[in-house]
Amino acid sequence: MAIPGLEVIQSSASLRGTGSGIRTLPNVAKLIDTSTCIGCKACEVACQEWNDLPNAKTVQDGSYQTLPTMTAEFWNLIKFHEAEVDGSFAWLMRKDQCMHCADPGCLKACPAPGAIVQYSNGIVDVNPDQCIGCRLCETGCPFDVPRFSAKTGKMSKCTLCVDRTTVGLEPACVKACPTGCLHFGTKENMLSEGKERVKQLKADGFANAGLYDPPGVGGTGVLTVLKHADKPELYGLPRDPTVPKSVRFVKSYLRPLGLLGMGAVVLGLVGHYLRFGPREPPKGPPSATPPAA
Amino acid sequence: MAEPLRAVPAHSTADPGILLAQNQEDLVVGDELVRFRFYTRVVHWGVALTFFLCLFTGLPIWTPIFGWLAPLVGGLQVCRWLHPWSGIAFAVFALLQFVHWAGEMKMTPADKRFTKLGGFLAYLRWETHDEEIGKYNGGQKALFWLSSLASLALLATGVVMWWPEYFSSTPLREASWVLHDATFILFTLMIFGHIYLAIAEPGTFSAMVKGTVSKAWARLHHPAWYRDVSGDSRR
Repeated sequence: MAIPGLEVIQSSASLRGTGSGIRTLPNVAKLIDTSTCIGCKACEVACQEWNDLPNAKTVQDGSYQTLPTMTAEFWNLIKFHEAEVDGSFAWLMRKDQCMHCADPGCLKACPAPGAIVQYSNGIVDVNPDQCIGCRLCETGCPFDVPRFSAKTGKMSKCTLCVDRTTVGLEPACVKACPTGCLHFGTKENMLSEGKERVKQLKADGFANAGLYDPPGVGGTGVLTVLKHADKPELYGLPRDPTVPKSVRFVKSYLRPLGLLGMGAVVLGLVGHYLRFGPREPPKGPPSATPPAA
Repeated sequence: MAEPLRAVPAHSTADPGILLAQNQEDLVVGDELVRFRFYTRVVHWGVALTFFLCLFTGLPIWTPIFGWLAPLVGGLQVCRWLHPWSGIAFAVFALLQFVHWAGEMKMTPADKRFTKLGGFLAYLRWETHDEEIGKYNGGQKALFWLSSLASLALLATGVVMWWPEYFSSTPLREASWVLHDATFILFTLMIFGHIYLAIAEPGTFSAMVKGTVSKAWARLHHPAWYRDVSGDSRR
């Protein structure tokens, strides 16, 4: 959807990029403090309500988790991870959603012009009318976020409530969170707030506490405070996410090389025709004997 | 000189070569030789047309530089739907062609002389005069094997990209993407050359349309085939 007042700064499959760069906005971010999440799932409900997503049929798989993974109609899922840390049981809840990368792999991978865009405030969004449902964004995303809907043939994911945040509201999930574990603001403010919280956690004895803002994807618009930041895998987060090398290779090397090759071969063939001309069969009757080989 | 194996009705005004080329090949008709019978031509045109359908629906997905091709089939959404299905159609024709030609595509010593770098460069300078070149030269045979392999690779990687829910392994999906792109680029370059030679060697295209070629053409490009079919060893 086009958002009034928000300029698009990156657009999928657009060679020259977009946006005038005249109006700049501070990047926005959501801060998730997993240490104060109580797993109440108010954010899940708020997300479904605000985005007009239907009720999801829950799946019981031996935990409190609503569904095994996110779906095309369920963009915000609290993951209930059970782990053993330093010899004792740890119940690690994390809000799984689109991370709104500064360098989005989904956008890099997408072949449909304008189907995935990044606004000047950093939010990564999908335009369903441009999406062709090829699912290459799934390969591009290091966080396994984009979900394909067989019903609509389109990809969908969290929009960081771009329709709310553009008019000065916080995302629905942040509004609903009862413990104050979710925060929303400029990325700068969220970074300092997150670092403050990490300091408190360290003082409370969580020596490995940290803020998850992976540099491999240029940082994310969703910051996560982890008590065990040395082991992000415990929370289902990749240690060092990047846009897959294969996607970079295909887009940045193979594609220009292929275009160059095609152009070179066409030029070469035209040159060959000019230099050597057509190879006409000889006219007139054949000679009596075959020539020496 | 081999006699026509099937009588042509005396009252027919149609080209006798065309009539005979309906179900026979490798025979002499007047001043021409029948090179490809109807079935051979249908299968090769099937491969050619479905190849270009795949190419024209795939290129706009590959890069927006070729986005202008998408409206030819109704836009990028249609490309995304049509590309895998035209890929299946291409795979079917490629398989038929493989079965039809595989037996005739064994490399002979003359073919190996042809495909060596020096031999191929001599051919590109139009300097090849190898009396042992049969119905297909080394380059055509190499193209046959390489394109068959490429078709198989495109099918396998294409299926992975088409049905990611059944191939959820990320490394497999990434490898398929890279391989699908690399293969199609090399395949397309080979096809550019293949089509160019059909234009740069006049008389070739008629083998794909009427099914026949002139004796002079056959003597120049495929001397051993000409000798076998006509029994005439003159140049």
